[in-house]
Amino acid sequence: MQSANTLLRKIVRSSVPPFAAQHGMKKDLFPLRTLSLSLCLKQDKSCEPSEKLDLDEWKKVMKSGLQEEVSETVSEPKELSSLAAARETLEMWRLAGRAVPEKMSEDQIKTFMECPSKSAKKKYLKFLHLKELYKKNDKRKAEEKRERKLEAQDQASKTDEPKRSPFVCLWSSTMDKAYNWRAAQSMIFGQPLVFDMSYEKEMSVREVTNTVRQLVLSESCNRRSVDPFHIHFCNFKHDSLYEREFIKHYREAWDKLLITVTDQCYTEIFPKDKLIYLTADSPKVMKTFDHDKIYIVGSMVDKSIKTGVSLARAKRLGLETAALPLEKYLLWNTGAKNLTLDQMMHILLTLKDTADWKKALEFVPKRKYCGFVNKPVKELKKTLDLINMLKLGKGREKVEKQFAKNYPKKYKLK
Amino acid sequence: VQPPEKPLQAEEWNKLREDFQLPGIFEEVMLNSMIRCNSPIDVAKSLLTHLAKRNGDIAYNVLVKYLTLCVHQGQVSEIRDMYDIMKGRFKILESGAYNLLIKGLSNSDQWRMALTLLEEVKKIMIPSRTCYESCIKAASCHQEMKLAFELYNEMLDKGVVPTLDVLQSFFYFSRGMKGAELQKELFGILLYLRENQIYPHKTFMRSIKLWFESIPGGNWKGRLTKIKDSGQCPVCNHQLEDSNLTEEEYSNLSERIIRDVIHGTDTFRKTSPKEFEAFQAFVESRLPFDIVIDGLNVSHIKSRKMQCENLFDAINCLAKENARLLVLGRKHMLTNSSNWKREIMKEMQNKADFFFAENISEDDAFLLYATLRSGKHCKFVTRDFLRDHKACLSDSLTRHLFRKWQRGHQIYKNKKMFSSVLSQQPAFRYDCVVQTTGDTWHIPYKDVFEEKYSYQVPRNWLCIQQK
Repeated sequence: MQSANTLLRKIVRSSVPPFAAQHGMKKDLFPLRTLSLSLCLKQDKSCEPSEKLDLDEWKKVMKSGLQEEVSETVSEPKELSSLAAARETLEMWRLAGRAVPEKMSEDQIKTFMECPSKSAKKKYLKFLHLKELYKKNDKRKAEEKRERKLEAQDQASKTDEPKRSPFVCLWSSTMDKAYNWRAAQSMIFGQPLVFDMSYEKEMSVREVTNTVRQLVLSESCNRRSVDPFHIHFCNFKHDSLYEREFIKHYREAWDKLLITVTDQCYTEIFPKDKLIYLTADSPKVMKTFDHDKIYIVGSMVDKSIKTGVSLARAKRLGLETAALPLEKYLLWNTGAKNLTLDQMMHILLTLKDTADWKKALEFVPKRKYCGFVNKPVKELKKTLDLINMLKLGKGREKVEKQFAKNYPKKYKLK
Repeated sequence: VQPPEKPLQAEEWNKLREDFQLPGIFEEVMLNSMIRCNSPIDVAKSLLTHLAKRNGDIAYNVLVKYLTLCVHQGQVSEIRDMYDIMKGRFKILESGAYNLLIKGLSNSDQWRMALTLLEEVKKIMIPSRTCYESCIKAASCHQEMKLAFELYNEMLDKGVVPTLDVLQSFFYFSRGMKGAELQKELFGILLYLRENQIYPHKTFMRSIKLWFESIPGGNWKGRLTKIKDSGQCPVCNHQLEDSNLTEEEYSNLSERIIRDVIHGTDTFRKTSPKEFEAFQAFVESRLPFDIVIDGLNVSHIKSRKMQCENLFDAINCLAKENARLLVLGRKHMLTNSSNWKREIMKEMQNKADFFFAENISEDDAFLLYATLRSGKHCKFVTRDFLRDHKACLSDSLTRHLFRKWQRGHQIYKNKKMFSSVLSQQPAFRYDCVVQTTGDTWHIPYKDVFEEKYSYQVPRNWLCIQQK
């Protein structure tokens, strides 16, 4: 024991750059429990470094810390609660360099433990980890911005000139009032647009959250448009997950939104022959936007593959269906043809105002298509083929297959 | 980065570190490349020493990397030291470190320590399958078969799926050992292969063969063979198990297909209740059929020919032996078009029964229903693998049943003749699983480790016979 200590002291003495050890430099690179070596270093600094290289001395360093900590660990209860054990495991994973968030709330740990499989756990942790990173980044940026603002203010106060402008400064509250006025008008005279809120059972919690976020975005862009729709949330159940998520987003404003929320079905409110259910699975393709019809959009985010769910809804009620003419106007590249709710909203609003498909379909994400169709599809196919062959070195067959998938004959062979 | 060949002094490490673009992760990158190049551990040690001196501590992930290096090189005493250090430093370890420790120790004469480590792991989590694999291999390597089987059963109880390697090691190490208990356990593994429709690869098969032949006083003799289409083994003339499902399995499967595939969460997704009822009434009034044809699928066999001609050829070819045919199609086939001529459709309707579904309905679901409802002799014609329908079935047992039934009942036109889609030969009459009669065993095996598609079944068999 005694000899080990003296040995250790010798080692430490011999090689640590005294400056670094004393001032704890570089420690922040390794946010770990560090040993307090500096203490013994202070005692005798005068020693000369020896040339001999002892390969196992790191072990002694590692083990030497133990004696201090042993007393600490002994007092702790041996059996950990499952929650604490999970916390410990997570901490170890983080140390091992896996994607694990630094801080986790009790609820998050519980959700983590309830994950049915290892891969589900990994995915959940990665999700939290990324979320944490984004949050940190945002915070940093906000701080930088504030500093810059302060600096700017400082400079402004130095010059200190009264500002004069011929225009009245429009504050956001004034804008809000204008928007609300328009939305109120749309509630009386506007064309209805229905969001079918009956998909809660088909979705996971994450999907519902995403759906609500997309709906919030759609509502805001509708409110800001020149001629808004009268939005209806139909089949909306009180105290559903949808509602709880909406309240999270809107807080008190939820009750003041200028939209119609009802638990009734759209078939009870509107005449059946005026309804058109928009779904990517529909065999019919929309040609023009009809100002007398009432379009229905299913409020559903479908991360797993559930084809035909909304088509089934429309079939059951005997409604007309339609799909956007994506293949007709766009040279489709990759990705599913179902769009997000806010993209749908943008497209429908543009159609309503301009009836220009090209303008409306600008809102389809750029990664999903190569360009607009301006020549017959056959010619385009040749060009696309060539491009792909040259660019990606893809085999001809593969390209053809992809193309056949995107541009099926009228009734595709199953 | 290229790891150095000899242990370095602190100053030398410092210099290397400063030259590196991202000094923050220098140690990790360096250790990774050491693992890749399998550098001598002395070099790694000198790096750790340098680290310990500079920071006073070594990060966990660096320790794990060093441990990986030790395990690769089988440095047992070093692994033990690492365990002491890590155990002292951290309350618990994570699975990666435990895997490494167990793997490293189980390959040495201190393999029993790996077992105690496994116990430790069990307290905090379900051990990974590599942990079990190492321990089981170590135990069976040291002829402790009882212990190995205990671990194996524990693993199955916890829902950890064993690798083929583990299963093989049981046969490999049990060679020449006596004992009724052991024999029973090994037969148990063969039955596990049967139940899960796992096919051993060639080396695994050889271990099985050698084990059988080495049983003292067993008089087993193994031969490699190919089974005839009739399902007879050419070596022992034994008839293999029938591919037909039992009554119970059959009714179970039909029930599940109606429930999961046709209705699913919403009948409207694939058809509509009205249409399905009409179809049911149609089928019931004309039962039983001998062959059910997916009209649209068959009509696309030759792309140069008109679609209705393709279908016409297929029907003519199948209608010869007075078989009762049912063709499933969609309503658009009835409208006169360039691909669907009305006269030919008329003629076909004289030779076979037709059912036309709505254009947006799924005809495959009807195909399955009509075939199953007609009975065990009924076959169906389509090139489709029906994977999406198999995926609708909720549990793996029913999926296996579906595959087995599909192997025996699906045929398709391959240039001249009709044959099974799945095996590229006439629909199987015998079942392709590990099977036994007590004094014989028949075990299908794969030629190479992983060469076949999941829908194909191996053609090679191991026939084991007791003389």
